Formats: sequence, C-alpha cells, structure tokens
Amino acid sequence: MSADRLIKLELSKLNVHLPERRPSLREALSSARPQVVARDGSTHAFKREELEFLAGLLPEADRDKLQLPILIALEPKLGRGTARISGEAEVKVVSQVLEKEASAGELLIYRPEVAILRKKLPTTTQYLFLW
Amino acid sequence: MAALAVSPTRMELLKLRQRVGLAQRGHDLLKEKMDALVIEFFEVLRRIQEARMKALEQLSVAHRALSMCFAIVGTLETKQASKETRRELQVEISTRHIMGIAVPAVEVREVERNALVRGYGLHMTSSVLDEASREFERALKLLIELAELEGSAFALARELEKTKRRVNALEYILIPRLKEALKFIMMRLDEMERENFSRLKRIKAMLEERG
Repeated sequence: MSADRLIKLELSKLNVHLPERRPSLREALSSARPQVVARDGSTHAFKREELEFLAGLLPEADRDKLQLPILIALEPKLGRGTARISGEAEVKVVSQVLEKEASAGELLIYRPEVAILRKKLPTTTQYLFLW
Repeated sequence: MAALAVSPTRMELLKLRQRVGLAQRGHDLLKEKMDALVIEFFEVLRRIQEARMKALEQLSVAHRALSMCFAIVGTLETKQASKETRRELQVEISTRHIMGIAVPAVEVREVERNALVRGYGLHMTSSVLDEASREFERALKLLIELAELEGSAFALARELEKTKRRVNALEYILIPRLKEALKFIMMRLDEMERENFSRLKRIKAMLEERG
C-alpha cells in the first residue's frame, strides 16, 4: 500500500469512535442504559452520575439542547493543543466546568483545560478530529 | 536519505504538492491524536497510582487482620477454614472505547459476602476470621479495579507508541523526501526555463546576424 493510501486510511479511522446519532441530555437521562452506538459499531456508555452532574449545571429548558457526547474538536489550523467546543448548551456547560467566561455558540479551550474537562467528564465528552 | 525517483515535469510538481499537503495534514492530525492520547494516558496513570495506594493500604489491613486471626484462632484452624471456603466470583469483562481504542471494562458484583455463605463452619471459627475474610474481599475488589486500569494503560501505551511511530515516519522520512523531490523538480524546471531562455536569445542573435 502506498504511503498516501496509508495516510488516507489513518485519517479515515480518526473519527470512527464518534456516535452516529447524538442524543440529548434529556433522552440520556430518561434512558435505562444511557449509551450511543459509534460509527465502528461499538457502544459507548455514559455514566449516570456524569449525566446528573450535567443536568445540575443546565436549566431544565436547556436539557434538550445539550447533545451528548460533548465534542472536543481538535483542528490543526487552530494551533497545536487548541480545541473548539461548539453549541450553545455545550459551551454553557463547559465554561461552567472550567470556570471560564461563556461566549456565544463557540468556546476555544487549550490543552490543560482539555485535560481537566476529560478528567471531570470522561464518558460524556469525546474528541473530534477536524481538517 | 534516499530520494524519490521523479520526472521533472509540471504535472509531477502538482501531484507532489498535493502529496505534501496530504502528508502534512496527516502529520498534524496524528500529532493532535498523540497529544490527546498523552492526556488520556496520564489521567489513567494518575488513577492507577491512587488505586494502587488504596489496594496496598487495604492489603496491609487485610494482612494485619489475618495475623490477628492466626494469633487468636490458630494457624492450622485458619488454614483449615480457608480450605473449606468456596468462591465463585462473577466478573463481567467487556470493552469500552477511548478514542476508538478498546480498553477493558471489568464489572464485578458483590465481592464482599456474608459470613454465612463463605463456606467455613461458624461454630469452630471466630469473628476475627470473618473480619480477615471481609478485609481480603475488599482488597480483591480494589485489585480488580486496579487490573482494569492497568489494562487500559497498556492499551493506551500501545496506541501511543503506534501513533508516535507514524508521526515520526511522516515527520522525519516521508515529508522531507517529498519536499526534497519537490525542490528538485522546481530547480530542474527553473533550469530548463533558463536553458530555453538562453537558447532563444542565441537563436535571436543568430537571426539578427543573418538579417
């Protein structure tokens, strides 16, 4: 296999862990086994205590807006170690977890903050690689 | 470094530029993946340290309880009771995924048991034996958690090593080779253009001489 095909294959495998459909926080909370099916067919389960923690951070009306898992988008053009959080409810939650000032619709976070976020929300956040 | 065999044409130059772009993009993304894996790996290591400390503490408590048991009940009696004990531990081993990497997930139900179901006779033994058994059961639960975390660390370390090898291959072999080939073609094309220019000048001079 040529080097180019190998690179393309590697790039195609980067996001296979992401779910095909992202349920809302309300759906996840009401489910008996809150989980999602990834593109590679594997299942990814959410911890209930994390879901309840997230529910505590958001007003009741916003529970439909927060889609799980929260995607930590890593994009090389943003610079190494910089990640983007998109979505109104997602930004609200992440800025509260990181104690950062919330911005409208989009939030840029850096490597130490990504580590904190992943430590606090290990099952309800996932990496997304963009190019 | 072995150079790529390329023909110095404009078509090849365009193809090479695309290949450099792809390799650079792959390199940047794999580096991002490597960084993310390092974050995950260090988090698992931190949890392993905590779990190991807890397990060691619990094991020392359990061994202390066992020593008390040996002293009060007697070594032979304790060993006899341990032989009478029967244990079937229901462990559910599945996998969960961290960035597409399958790591073990061990679920264990009820490690701690009631003294009545342990299997040894209660009329010949003492409560210190129950105490020692209970402490060992608690230690077992912590050891299972530790095993799960260590399995995750191994899986992450393997993926990290693989990703690092790919990043290095791109950074130190493929991209420099492609850039070298690109430079060669550009220099060769420039050279051909200069040759063409001087040829044209010479032809023009010859035509002027004749005219």
